Amino acid sequence: MSVRVHFILEDLEAEAPEGIGLAEVAEAVGADITFGCRTGSCGTCRIRVSNGLSACSAPDAEERDFLASLDAPNDQRLACRVKLNGDVAIEYLGI
Amino acid sequence: MTTIESILHDRVLLLDGGMGTQIFNHNPTVDDFGGVAFEGCVELLNERRPEWIRGIHARYFEAGADAVETNTFGCNELVLAEFGLAHRTHDLNVAAAKLAREAASQFSGPRFVIGSLGPGTKLLTLGQADYAAMLKSYRTQVLGLLEGGVDALLIETCQDLGQIKVAVRAAKEAFALVQRRVPLWVQATVETTGTLLVGSEIGSVLSTVEALGVDVLGLNCATGPEEMRQHLSVLSHQSPVPISCLPNAGLPRNEGGKVVYPLGPEAFADQVASAAKDLGLAILGGCCGTGPEHIRALKARIGNLEAPRRQPVLERGAASLYVSVPFAQEPRPLIVGERTNANGSKKFRDLLAKEDWEGLVTIAKEQAKEGAHLLDICTAYVGRDEVRDMDEYLKRLATQVQTPLMLDSTEVPVLERALQRAPGKCVVNSINFEDGEGKARKILDLCKAYGASVVALTIDEKGMAKSVEDKVAIAKRLHALVVGEYGLDPGDLILDPLTFTLGSGDEEFRKSAAATLEAIRRIKAELPGVLTMLGVSNVSFGLSPEPRKILNALMLHHAVEAGLDLAIFNAAKVIPVAKLDAETRTIYDDLIFDRRREGYDPLKAVLERASSGAPGIPQEDVATLTLEQRLQRDIVDGEKRWVIADLEEALAGGDDPLRLINEVLLEGMKTVGERFGRGEMQLPFVLESAEAMKTAIGHLEPLLPKEASARKGRILLATVKGDVHDIGKNLVDIILSNNGFEVKNLGIKQPIDSILKELEAWPADAIGLSGLLVKSTVVMKENLEELERKELKVPVMLGGAALTRDYVEGDCRRAYSGAVLYAEDAFEGLRHMQALVSGDSIALAPPAPVAPAIRVVRRGQAAVDLTAGGKSSWVKDAAPAQPPFWGVRELAPSFDELFGYLDTFVVLRNRWGFSQGALSDAAFAELLRDKAEPELARWRGRFEADGFLKPKALYGHFPCRPDGEELIVFDPDHPDRERLRIPFPRQATGRRLAIPDYFASGGDCLSVQLITLGEGAAEQDRILYGAGDYRDYFLFHGLATELVEAGAEWLHATIRAELGIAGKDLSGRALFAQGYQGSRYSFGYPACPDLEGNATILDLLDGARIGVSLTESFQMDPEFSTSALVAAHPQARYFSA
Repeated sequence: MSVRVHFILEDLEAEAPEGIGLAEVAEAVGADITFGCRTGSCGTCRIRVSNGLSACSAPDAEERDFLASLDAPNDQRLACRVKLNGDVAIEYLGI
Repeated sequence: MTTIESILHDRVLLLDGGMGTQIFNHNPTVDDFGGVAFEGCVELLNERRPEWIRGIHARYFEAGADAVETNTFGCNELVLAEFGLAHRTHDLNVAAAKLAREAASQFSGPRFVIGSLGPGTKLLTLGQADYAAMLKSYRTQVLGLLEGGVDALLIETCQDLGQIKVAVRAAKEAFALVQRRVPLWVQATVETTGTLLVGSEIGSVLSTVEALGVDVLGLNCATGPEEMRQHLSVLSHQSPVPISCLPNAGLPRNEGGKVVYPLGPEAFADQVASAAKDLGLAILGGCCGTGPEHIRALKARIGNLEAPRRQPVLERGAASLYVSVPFAQEPRPLIVGERTNANGSKKFRDLLAKEDWEGLVTIAKEQAKEGAHLLDICTAYVGRDEVRDMDEYLKRLATQVQTPLMLDSTEVPVLERALQRAPGKCVVNSINFEDGEGKARKILDLCKAYGASVVALTIDEKGMAKSVEDKVAIAKRLHALVVGEYGLDPGDLILDPLTFTLGSGDEEFRKSAAATLEAIRRIKAELPGVLTMLGVSNVSFGLSPEPRKILNALMLHHAVEAGLDLAIFNAAKVIPVAKLDAETRTIYDDLIFDRRREGYDPLKAVLERASSGAPGIPQEDVATLTLEQRLQRDIVDGEKRWVIADLEEALAGGDDPLRLINEVLLEGMKTVGERFGRGEMQLPFVLESAEAMKTAIGHLEPLLPKEASARKGRILLATVKGDVHDIGKNLVDIILSNNGFEVKNLGIKQPIDSILKELEAWPADAIGLSGLLVKSTVVMKENLEELERKELKVPVMLGGAALTRDYVEGDCRRAYSGAVLYAEDAFEGLRHMQALVSGDSIALAPPAPVAPAIRVVRRGQAAVDLTAGGKSSWVKDAAPAQPPFWGVRELAPSFDELFGYLDTFVVLRNRWGFSQGALSDAAFAELLRDKAEPELARWRGRFEADGFLKPKALYGHFPCRPDGEELIVFDPDHPDRERLRIPFPRQATGRRLAIPDYFASGGDCLSVQLITLGEGAAEQDRILYGAGDYRDYFLFHGLATELVEAGAEWLHATIRAELGIAGKDLSGRALFAQGYQGSRYSFGYPACPDLEGNATILDLLDGARIGVSLTESFQMDPEFSTSALVAAHPQARYFSA
């Protein structure tokens, strides 16, 4: 099974195997997302999931803590922590 | 007779498309509605313009629809009341159903009428509507639709689980009143956010609706077929009932104030038909933006498509408004939080007495955070109104807590109100046969009506079951009632075989725990599919806290082994059984299984140990360990203090030093590696083990015969050319050298020529290359090409933050015909080395994995224009920053300032490696609190006492002006004299940003900054490493790295304050996440990757004033120094050029 990722900002659409990390897809296709620590603690790669939030792997405690500390709405995630189980459309926010 | 069910059994059923747009195509006027007061009430048109409605239905039938939906979307009392027409609800529904029936009768073949029930305009869960009023509103509507002759009911466009539950209940009440049942369908609406309007995920919708016993579950509205697919896919895998799909004609767009749907009939039909075939959908149709032509095209695609044959597997569980939680947790058990219970928590009772609802909600949130999967909610408190308290509490919990709820009361009215208030799928706690079956039946009626699972206790008319036989017999009787008679799925029956305290010593209960455990085993074996639950802590009532913890932990352990699925306990207080020593375990197990003997009573032993203060948890009884076990434990626990004494004892007993290293101590290190790999052991503790190992080897080495070296193999380690980062390489050195390998650590910035020269003088089994920078990954590959050119074959191991396994095992491996190995961490490096010296060829040449198929489907032309001035048009013009002075100043931050800006989150979790790994949320929080945070406090104390950290900073403001991709910097004393130009890269697509865009074209202020912790800090780093204080070295290095960041953040804040843009600053972690205006860019990072920019900054600030210079690769010296330039523009954020 493959999944589709739509990077809204540059209108870039990619296809990748199900279960893959969003970061890997973003880098492979050169999407406009900056990654920092890649461990869910710097927020550089913050995104809004405009579509397909439930297709993203659930956030772990560290990411939840981090996003909660920013009062980020539920549809925001850290791209470095997201694995994809379905199609998503995302918009890069950064920090 | 052909019924709608029989059609669904045979083939896919086709419904109609949108109704609203079809009606508005008639351009209805005030007259059509019957007056200004009724304008927009399309339900009235069923009476006033019946020919329109009949005509729309007919066009859909003619297009091929098997069924049409009545024009009754808003035809319930609550919506009609907004027009003063609530009293017309019944008649308008009858009229609407009859119109559709008349249209159907004009066509041949089986044609059906579906009664549409819309969501209304109020959200029940958010308290906008009253439960009873909404129930009556829908009941009246359903009675009308049934009278008008509908073949099925469709509760559609649902946005709120609460509303679905009311509407389903209303329909069932209406069925009972008229003694006629029609199929009941439910369709939810998943917004573009991926959830229902109120935030429910599809899993929560499925759990909740499935428990209501409806006949079809599907989706309609909000999005087009493509966007619906992922949610339909969840239903496809799990829904036990057929699935419907009525999407919009694509995602609506607003074009000049008009809503436009992008999908024409053909594209729409293609997408819906392909989803139907892929996902096994049973009912198709359209929603907003679709018309008869869409349905005609869809009919052409699907024809008489056979009914799908899915094999759904439902993850049965409970659901909150937001999420679903499966009862089957891995690992077991599912944890039921017990502190939101007036019977169990004094704090809860006190807050309840004060009616501190927010405080009560906080208790619920805390439990969820500590790992509870479900919350047991009980508001029974003598002298208070339990119904009201439950209602008030749930009103808040419903939306504020993600965790599903277990509703705990003995009172039927309390349970009924609770079930009305809680939106998802709840668990009712509980039923029993204490007063016969009457009350149990009343509660089961509620479970059926509101769709809930139920807890059943093994209590009957004779009282609580104590023997295994009684427990199992009552469990079977409960099963016969709940599953047999009421038809609940066995997976919604949770049997609690009860447990009693062992703490009283009462003869009657001595064997009760063993009986409970056996009952769990038999219930799981004899009643397949049911779940079991236990209030574990009951087993230890009456004992003091420490024995309680141990007894609870062991009882839980045995219960889970017996098959327990759910456990009520405080997740924060559970201790791991593995940590108990053997003697403690034996005594407590003897208590649980009542293994009394002549002269031995385990209860007495437990009480004696507790009163003697014997440390039951988690110390081990050293005396019971063999010497070898003790030595291994010394290594695993990092006990430098004991390891020498234990080694002396072993040597005195005639043990061979070489054997001690290879067979005893290294086994301990192996355990360390395994625990680290499983996420059970944190990096600082691994390093303590390595220190103990180093101490041990240092002690044994002089005793080894010269020729019989304990060394297993050799490796040369180096950080590659141009990179100064050595922490990763040093960790590899520590782990390898303390696992018996000989390591030569060449240090940082090593050109390949130096490494090869060293290799000639010191032949090694492998070379290990390390580096943190992205460009180091390129250097590594170049190094491999050089090795290939020299026709070498020595194996090379690569590690570093920017590397990926794919890159190493793909690109790098192709560059070199010797072995190229990727080491994700030091322990993978160790495994590679062990494989290399043992000649294990499998590890040497694993096939490069197939690169994952990531491909660009479409690369849009979305890139913003550049302005005439050559900057990104995404960047708006902003007023130039106004510095209070031009030129450079020097500052020195205090420790308070540094630590005030320290991101402890990153220090503890990232730098120090305290990661959650396999730990529960609660255990991880405890680790941070008890180990990590005290460690940080210790270091701060050390810095303040020792004085080797001397932070110094320079910053300055310079006049500047952008020129395309360059920033022109002017002399502060002569603002018209150009001092230098800094070049920057520009993004090729997307926003097309370059840093100069953030500076005003008419002249602006460029602020630059530089901070260092001083030479003393770098020196300290070297000293700790050299002395083998690995743990301290690692902790210091990580902390210092973040302290310099903290200093940079502090300096940046100072600059922002001076530029007058500090007003919007946030505090805490939001600050580190750049929650302020302006941005700090460091060279070497994605917006300005060229490290040569550091030279410009040092030139502008005269970095030598505070002892900072550059290496030949443009990195800062001493270590723990960092520089940046600051843009004050409101849109300035990190980006990648």
